[in-house]
Amino acid sequence: MRHALIAIALGILAFGTGCQRKPSDVVDPAKLKVFEPLPEVVAASYGTPSEELIALGRMLYYDPRLSKSQQISCNTCHDLNKYGVDNEPTSEGHKGQKGDRNSPTVYNAAAQFAQFWDGRAPDVEEQAKGPVMNPVEMAMPSDKLVIAVLKSIPEYVDAFRRAFPKDKDPVNLDNMARAIGAFERRLLTPARWDKFLKGDAQALTSAEKAGLNVFLEAGCQTCHLGALLGGTMFQKLGLMKPYPDQSDPGRYRVTKNEADRMVFKVPMLRNVEKTAPYFHNGKVATLEQAVQEMADYQLGKTLSRKETEAIITFLKSLTGEIPFDYIKQPELPKSTARTPKPDLSD
Amino acid sequence: MSWKVKLAILVSLLAAGLQLYQPERSNPPSNPGGSFEAVARPAPELANVLRRACYDCHSNETRWPWYSRVSPVSWLIARDVRRGRAHLNFSEWNRLSPQAAQHKLREACEEVRAGEMPLALYRWFHSEARLSAADADWICAASKAP
Ligand code: HEC
Ligand code: HEC
Ligand code: HEC
Repeated sequence: MRHALIAIALGILAFGTGCQRKPSDVVDPAKLKVFEPLPEVVAASYGTPSEELIALGRMLYYDPRLSKSQQISCNTCHDLNKYGVDNEPTSEGHKGQKGDRNSPTVYNAAAQFAQFWDGRAPDVEEQAKGPVMNPVEMAMPSDKLVIAVLKSIPEYVDAFRRAFPKDKDPVNLDNMARAIGAFERRLLTPARWDKFLKGDAQALTSAEKAGLNVFLEAGCQTCHLGALLGGTMFQKLGLMKPYPDQSDPGRYRVTKNEADRMVFKVPMLRNVEKTAPYFHNGKVATLEQAVQEMADYQLGKTLSRKETEAIITFLKSLTGEIPFDYIKQPELPKSTARTPKPDLSD
Repeated sequence: MSWKVKLAILVSLLAAGLQLYQPERSNPPSNPGGSFEAVARPAPELANVLRRACYDCHSNETRWPWYSRVSPVSWLIARDVRRGRAHLNFSEWNRLSPQAAQHKLREACEEVRAGEMPLALYRWFHSEARLSAADADWICAASKAP
């Protein structure tokens, strides 16, 4: 009993020291070790992508002829002029059908350890094969049709030859995905935050630094860490108390393992100011709500309005520059008489 | 009845009443193939240090002590376990990328060297969790592995 009494007393003390101090704008450098600046390019396992490969990937990214209706491209849902998202809770794909998850941004996505909310693709190359034949996204019935479209356009055949000079028959699904992936590997948005991490203490305003301290004090970096403040791990949504919307079991869909129910990839926080709405279901409309729900469900803490605002001020400093030259939409090669016609059936 | 006896009865009643309120005290399901031991294949010495001093709060294999059934201590312990697991969970190591795993081990090394972990109160109750410098070295060496 003596132990228990002392435990109570110490417990109360521990609660007391947990109480708030006014956030300062002096950031302890030791606490920044969990973050890294954005890399210049995201290295690929096969080597450095050539300019020809990237140029091909850029065309494919913008080309709606990779879809059944020939109306939907990657850019429809991941608009590169809008920080790589469509700002819809869930996106409209083939014939206005909606998927059940929010479109994440493609900016900086290649640097994540896995792709999709449930991490079912290991990298952007593997990922790029998904949407083309997803029935509610681009809805191509088979890879044969995708290849038929590309092969009917001589300029594409040439572009594939230039990008894959060693391949006998370069127009295939894997090469299409590799080209799109190569383009995505340089979709990076460096921000003032990177200058700050590299040692320029003035790169963030005093309010942003104070906000960073509130972010760190709350413990957000437990999950949102690394070069992207996310994209390095899976975590359960609703760690401290069950998340109300349990309709999407997350990574459980991939592993069928009970322990993975409601487990999602921790998303990146770069450009988060611009990528509303939030969460895998797109049901969280504002950054205020996202931050407060995070504190509540993931950390078991209630943030005051002031603290929430301070964190948001910091999060906005993660908004980077869109590489407008790099993403400029190229002129797409013309279809020919042999090109399969758009198909608007279901 | 003297006021002292009355007070004692009142306090006892309150304490008994409190016992009706118990926190969730459970070990969530976990996938054995996803544990630190399965994924990172640590040296047995390192695995032993972590099991001895950290697993009660940083894994799904918590050994709940008898006093974790007594409110309000139960609440404090359950809260530490929930928070501890949220920060670092050796039973769910497969959720971390290699890079994130490295970060976590580096933090573990720093926390232990600074005497912040295991929590002081826990060390007080669990003599086996009072780590030596050599114990800490195992954790720190792992955090530097490529
Ligand atoms: C109809 C809308 C739609 C189209 C078209 C579309 N996507 Fe997506 N994209 C999504 C949605 C929704 C997700 C999330 C799905 C999930 O996690 O299960 C996603 C996920 C991704 C991701 C993973 C990002 C991350 O952080 O995990 C990448 C990369 C991506 N898409 C690239 C592409 C490319 C490249 C194309 C063209 C080949 C494309 N998308 C076409 C809606 C779309
Ligand atoms: C225990 C891990 C964990 C902690 C701690 C955590 N998050 Fe998250 N965060 C996640 C996960 C997982 C998601 C994805 C939720 C989903 O799938 O719906 C997420 C999503 C978000 C989003 C939405 C991003 C988007 O694109 O939809 C924001 C914003 C966010 N977190 C901010 C924070 C802030 C601020 C804190 C600290 C108060 C925090 N998080 C703490 C794991 C965590
Ligand atoms: C009595 C329970 C308990 C034990 C035992 C314990 N921890 Fe912790 N640990 C916690 C709690 C609670 C937190 C979260 C503290 C907070 O909220 O900031 C934590 C946080 C941490 C963190 C994260 C720090 C951060 O800032 O994110 C590390 C790393 C850590 N512990 C390492 C260890 C190691 C290594 C051991 C064993 C040598 C250990 N802990 C033993 C309860 C415990």
